[in-house]
Amino acid sequence: MVSTRDLYAEDRNVYAYRCPKCGVLYHPAPMVCKGCRNRRDPSEAVFPDFEKVPMGGPCRLLSWTRIYALPEGIDRPSIAFGIVEFDNGLRAAGQLMVADPQSGARLIAKSGLVRELVGRDFYGLQLFEA
Amino acid sequence: MRQVGIVGIGHTKFGRMDFDLVDIMSWAALEAMKDAGITDGIDQVFVANMGGSAINHQTGIASSLVSRIFLEPAMAELIENGPASGSSAVKCGYMAIASGMADVVLVVGGERMREVTGWKATDFVATLSHPDAEYAYGLTLPAFAGIFARAYVERYGLTEKHLATLAVKAHRNASLNPFAHIEESATLSGIWDGPHRDVVNPIMADPLRLYDFCPVSDGAAAVVLCGLDVASRFTKHVPVRIAGIGQATDTHCVHNRADMLDLKAVRMAAERAYAMAGIGPKEISLAELHDAFLILEVAESEEVGFFERGQAKAAIERGETEVTGRIPINTSGGLKAKGHPVGATGVSQIHELVKQLRGQAEAGRQVAEPKFGLAVNFGGFGNNVVATILAKE
Ligand SMILES: [Zn+2]
Repeated sequence: MVSTRDLYAEDRNVYAYRCPKCGVLYHPAPMVCKGCRNRRDPSEAVFPDFEKVPMGGPCRLLSWTRIYALPEGIDRPSIAFGIVEFDNGLRAAGQLMVADPQSGARLIAKSGLVRELVGRDFYGLQLFEA
Repeated sequence: MRQVGIVGIGHTKFGRMDFDLVDIMSWAALEAMKDAGITDGIDQVFVANMGGSAINHQTGIASSLVSRIFLEPAMAELIENGPASGSSAVKCGYMAIASGMADVVLVVGGERMREVTGWKATDFVATLSHPDAEYAYGLTLPAFAGIFARAYVERYGLTEKHLATLAVKAHRNASLNPFAHIEESATLSGIWDGPHRDVVNPIMADPLRLYDFCPVSDGAAAVVLCGLDVASRFTKHVPVRIAGIGQATDTHCVHNRADMLDLKAVRMAAERAYAMAGIGPKEISLAELHDAFLILEVAESEEVGFFERGQAKAAIERGETEVTGRIPINTSGGLKAKGHPVGATGVSQIHELVKQLRGQAEAGRQVAEPKFGLAVNFGGFGNNVVATILAKE
């Protein structure tokens, strides 16, 4: 089974996935709805895929870190990560683009280039000051 | 159910080993068999390893190990459960014997990670995170530890001094453990309040510093298990009984936990192990907790019921988790200072508990008259956790 990112490699959005039966949102995409057990089919051959809802916008920083041993494909002196909660309750991890982050701070999440590996660019959530 | 005991233990020194992965694991296996007083008679082998294919370009490791030490035609499987592979393999050994499919099982855990650079090793471990929602961002396990630590510090007021105190304890215990990767002791003045603190102990994953992290290690550990009804085959040691095993899983993505500080899988694994053993946390004499990052020793010590939430820091201040304290934790030096060859770690924790329960630990780190030992082996960032309780017979 290919991942959602392989399927939409040219798509620079980050998505949440909404169960078409009960409306619950997920990030990342599961293969079945936790609540109603409705199945998701990324190929849409047997079942419909879940509805893709672009993620971003206002959110609150729950916790964060800044690391100094940098992963391959990230060309910065240090990189910060945060976990945020959106106003609809959805949560996500993202790259934190804030110089002096504070837990609890209001941020804005936008999709951006988070990592460049050979032959492959990764787009993901980047978190900016609100 | 059939009772299962441990009758042999073996360990290599942890650190850098320029030997083939299967040679390293074979050494520990042969040490465990020697300790059990046997050269054959193994029905089943479980091998715990995470990076054989990804780091060492080797697959079929269990079959390879069996052949290298001439245990054919023993049954053999590789068990991969991330950093909890070792305890999972011990659990499989327990199940094989309890079910009656085997009488004698050899469990070997090993890893050879220093063949690659530190970054490659960190990247390899990070592959257990979610490929799209975590890994792609460059998130590593140390990064998750930093995020977790900040939330913990902000909620419970844990300080850098508490963590540094645990680092000093880990280094001290490891300095007395001949198998430990790190042999040097550490001092509070060196890593916490000395003038060169930021050079000696720099921030690695804010708020965590270098001394809050385990090293990248090579090494292996092994145990021989048998049904207690056939334990008379083994006369060298009184068997140490496996009294309880519990395991639980949690969400793959850390952000999808309602409370990221709630290590539900740790708590449930421990509760299941206590229930099976018929005891509670107060009966535990010592524990090996999975401290790949020292903040995990703090959080796990609360989740397994030794301390109330947020109270581990008071226990650290009182020295309760030192070798001579009320509930000694990581007398081996822990992952933090003994080292963390991921597949070996769970087996190494069991090795330490057996050594302690037999009264064979080195002077200065032997706990006085232990009866029950608890091991917590933490896979992923807490998404698959195995707890094991051993009892002195
Ligand atoms: Zn649904």
